[in-house]
Amino acid sequence: MAATVDSGNVPVSDAHTTSSAKQSYEGSTFQYSMLLQHLVGEKRPIKDLNPMVMGGLPNPMKTDDQKMIERGMESCAFKAVLACVGGFVLGGAFGVFTAGIDTNVGFDPKDPLKTPSAREVLKDMGQRGMSYAKNFAVIGAMFSCTECIIESHRGKSDWKNAVYSGCVTGGVIGFRGELSTVFTDAMLLEE
Amino acid sequence: MDPDKAQQLAAELEVEMMADMYNRMTNACHRKCVPPHYKEAELSKGEAVCLDRCVAKYLDLHERLGRKLTELSVQDEEMMRKSALGQ
Repeated sequence: MAATVDSGNVPVSDAHTTSSAKQSYEGSTFQYSMLLQHLVGEKRPIKDLNPMVMGGLPNPMKTDDQKMIERGMESCAFKAVLACVGGFVLGGAFGVFTAGIDTNVGFDPKDPLKTPSAREVLKDMGQRGMSYAKNFAVIGAMFSCTECIIESHRGKSDWKNAVYSGCVTGGVIGFRGELSTVFTDAMLLEE
Repeated sequence: MDPDKAQQLAAELEVEMMADMYNRMTNACHRKCVPPHYKEAELSKGEAVCLDRCVAKYLDLHERLGRKLTELSVQDEEMMRKSALGQ
C-alpha cells in the first residue's frame, strides 16, 4: 500500500501535499486534511499507550499502588526524613563515643586529680550524645532536602548539586548563629 | 475521499506513526537528559525529573504542530480549490 511508505514523514513537506492533491482532486473534497485530523487533529482516537504497541520491550504495567510507593520513595521529603534519622543515629553514636574518650565533667577544683564517677560520665555521655544527635539530624535533613530540591530544579545530577546545597546549609547555619547572637544582644539591650 | 476511508487509512497509519514518534522521543530525551557516562544503574532524581519534562514537552509540541499542520493543509486545499475553480 503506497500510503504506508514513509508514513513517518507524512506530515512533512508541502510539495508532497500538492502532488497528492493533484492526483486525486477531481470534484471530491481533498482528503489530506481529513487524514491529518484523524491522525493528529481533533478526531484522533484515544489510544491506550502500551510499550508493546509502540515498540518497547513488553513489561507488566506497574499498578497504581506500586507507582505511588515509588513516587513516595523518590520524593524529597522521604529523603530528608531518611537523612534525619540516619544523622540522629550517627550523631548519637559519635557523641557517646567522644564523651567516653574526652570527658570534662567531674572536675573538682579542690582535687584536680580526682577521676569522675561512672554515673557522671554516663550522664555526660547521654547529654552529649543527644546534643550531637540533634545537631547532626538537623544538618543532615537540611542538606538532603536542599540537595534534592536543587537537583529537581536543575534536572541534572552532578557534583554541583552537593556544592550548592552545602553552601545553602552552611549559610543557614551561620545565619542561625548570627540570629541567635542578635536576639541575645537585643534582649540584653532591652533590659 | 469519504470520512470512513479517511478513518480507516488513519487507523492503519496510526500504529506506525505512534511507533515512530515513540522511537524519536526516546532517542531525543535520552540524548538530552542522560549524560553518556553511567555511574549507576538506577535513574537519579535529576534524570527522572528531566525525562518527565522532556516527554511532556515532546507530546505538547507534537499536538500543537499537528493542529497547526492540519490548519495549514486546510488552507492549502481551499487555495487550490479556488485556483482550480478560477481556471
